[in-house]
Amino acid sequence: MALVEIRNLSKQFSKGDEVIRPLREVDLDIHEGDFVSLMGPSGTGKSTLLNLISGIDKPDQGTVTVDDVEVTSLSRSQLADWRAANLGYIFQTHNLIPVLTTYENVELPILLLPLAKRERQQRVELALEAVGLSDRADHYPRQLSGGQEQRVGIARAIVAHPKVVVADEPTGSLDNKTSEQVQVLLQRLNQELNITMIMVTHDSEAAQIATRQLQLDEGKIRELSSDERATAQQVST
Amino acid sequence: MFRFAPYVFKGLWRHRARTMLTVSGAAVAIFVFCFVVSIQEGLDRLTSNEDAQRTLIVFQENRFCPTSSRLPEDYARQIEDIPGVKDVMPVQVWTNNCRASLDIIVFNGSPPEKLRNARDLTLVSGDWGEFESQRDSAIVGRKVAARRGISQGESFSIGDITVQVAGVFSSPIPSEENLIHTNLEFLQYRRGADAAGVVTQHEVHLTADADPDVVATAIDEKLKSGPVATTTRRKGAFQASTLSDLLDLIEFAHWLGYACVGLVLSLVATTTLMSVQDRIKEHAVLQTLGVRPARIFRLVIAESGLLCLFGGLMGTSLALAILGWGSLAVGAEGVTIAFRPSLQLALMGTIVSASVGLLAGLVPATQAARTQIVNALSQP
Ligand SMILES: Nc1ncnc2c1ncn2[C@@H]1O[C@H](COP(=O)(O)OP(=O)(O)O)[C@@H](O)[C@H]1O
Ligand SMILES: [Mg+2]
Repeated sequence: MALVEIRNLSKQFSKGDEVIRPLREVDLDIHEGDFVSLMGPSGTGKSTLLNLISGIDKPDQGTVTVDDVEVTSLSRSQLADWRAANLGYIFQTHNLIPVLTTYENVELPILLLPLAKRERQQRVELALEAVGLSDRADHYPRQLSGGQEQRVGIARAIVAHPKVVVADEPTGSLDNKTSEQVQVLLQRLNQELNITMIMVTHDSEAAQIATRQLQLDEGKIRELSSDERATAQQVST
Repeated sequence: MFRFAPYVFKGLWRHRARTMLTVSGAAVAIFVFCFVVSIQEGLDRLTSNEDAQRTLIVFQENRFCPTSSRLPEDYARQIEDIPGVKDVMPVQVWTNNCRASLDIIVFNGSPPEKLRNARDLTLVSGDWGEFESQRDSAIVGRKVAARRGISQGESFSIGDITVQVAGVFSSPIPSEENLIHTNLEFLQYRRGADAAGVVTQHEVHLTADADPDVVATAIDEKLKSGPVATTTRRKGAFQASTLSDLLDLIEFAHWLGYACVGLVLSLVATTTLMSVQDRIKEHAVLQTLGVRPARIFRLVIAESGLLCLFGGLMGTSLALAILGWGSLAVGAEGVTIAFRPSLQLALMGTIVSASVGLLAGLVPATQAARTQIVNALSQP
C-alpha cells in the first residue's frame, strides 16, 4: 500500500466569472522512500497539490490519505497536530521566524511534540548536522546567506522525523551554485535518511535528482517514462 | 505553553520601541487609575471603620465649616447625662483652609487626658507628659509631620498659631495621621476672647450596648432648647457630609479612573492588532509547521497580557511608592482623606491590568487564529 494515496482529487478557484480548475480528478500513489519531482508551467496547480497533501488547503472533491490517515477529512486543529508529527514543509522563501535563532527555528516544530528537552536538543543538533549548519546555531536569519537560510528551513522540515516532506520550489529563489548545493542536500536526505520527498520545481535540471518525475498539465498528472527522462536530461545538459 | 515563551518575549523585544511606548502608556494610565482607587479607599476607610460608626459628632445645626460652628463647651455635661453616653470630648477645630486642598493643616484642640482615652494614638517620638503639662504644646500626626518636615522639639507656626511639638504620633486610622492635636484652652485662647467656653464640636463616645442613632436623636432633642441647636451624626456620616463637595469630585474622578482603564484597553489592543497584522504570514507559517489555531490565539493573548501587565505593574508600583512617601492628603473643612499604599491597591492594579491585557488581546487573537494559511502564505 502506498504511503500517500491521492484519489479523485479536484480543486477549483473562481476569479470573478472565470473558473480555474488546476486539479481535475487527480489520482496518484507515492511510496515510502520515493523522491518525486513535480514539474509544470507556472500557474498549473503544483502548489495547490502540495497544499492539499499538507492539509493547509481543502479540496472540492476527492481524498488524500497519508499512512492510512485520511488527511482531507481532518479538522483544522487535527490537521495542525497531524502536520506537527507527520509532515515537513519546505517553502520557496525559507520563511524562518526572524526573531528566533537558527537553533530555535529548527526546534520550533518539535516543541509541539511530547519530547523532553534533552531529546529535542539531540534532534535539533542532528538536523543541523545533516544540513551542515551546526556552527550557525546561534545566528539569526538576517545573519545568514540565502542558501544557509534555506538549509535551516530544510532542517526545520526534517527535525520531527516526518513521514513526508514537501518542498515548493525550494531552489526557486537561489542562485545556480547554492541551488545545486540544496539539490544535493535534498537528494542525500532522501537516500541516506530515506525521507519521502515531494518537490515542486519548474527547473528540469533540478527535477533530475528525483527518482520519479511527474508533470502537471491541464489539471492532470502524468509520470515521465525513463525514455522521456533521458531526453529531458540530454536537453538540459 | 511556556515552551513558546522565548518566541513571545523575543517578538516584544524585536519591536522594543513599540513595546516601550505601549508599556509606558499603560503605566501612566494605570498609575492614575490606582490614584483614583486610592482616594476611594481613603474615603471608604473614613466612613466605615469602627470609630466612624460608633462615635457621634455634635455640630451646630446647619453649619459646615468648623469656624462657623460654635457650641457651648458645657454642653458636654448635658450630653454626658444621656443614657448610652460613656464620655464626651469637646473639640475645637482650626484649619488653615476651609476649602478643598491637598495640603490642609487641621488642629484639633481637646483636653489631653480625654484625647488619650478616646483615640488609639501611639507616639513615635516625644512623650505624653510634656504634651499634657505644656499649654502650647502639640502632638503631630505622622503624615503631616512628613509632609511639612516637622519633628519633635521644634516649634511649628501656621497663620497666627505657634505650637511646640511635643511628639509625633501614628494611628491605625490613616486620616488621624493628618491631624495636629493640641490643648483645647490654647486653641480657644488663640481664637480670641469670645472663644472662651466655646467649642466647634463635641465628640461623643458610646457604651458598648448603645444604639448610635437613638443617642444622636436624644442629644439633639435635649439641646434643642439650649442657646444653640445641634445636629448629631455618626462620625462617618459627619465626615462624609462635610466632604460632600469633594464627593462629587471623587465621583467624577471615578469616571477618570474608568477612562484610564479604557485607554489602556484601546492602546494595548491597537498595538497587538498592529503586531498581528505585521505577522499574518508568520502565523500562517506557524500553522503550517503544526501550531494549532488555538495556540496562536493564546500566543497573541499572552503578548497583549504581558504588555499590559508590565505597564500595569510599573504604574501600580509608582503609585504605591508615591502614596507611601508622598504623605498626600486631600481634605476640606477640617476633614481629611488619607492616601495610603495598600495590598488591596496593589492587587487591584495588577488584576485590572492583567484582565485588561487579556481583553485587549481578544480581537487580534481571534484574527490571528482565523488566518487562512494558503492566502497568508502567498503574501509577499
Ligand atoms: N486562492 C486562490 N484564489 C484564486 N485563484 C487561485 C488561488 N490559488 C491559486 N489560484 C490559481 O490556481 C492556479 C494554480 O495555482 P498554483 O497552484 O499556485 O500554481 P503553481 O504553483 O503551479 O504555479 C493559478 O492559476 C492561480 O492563479
Ligand atoms: Mg507555486
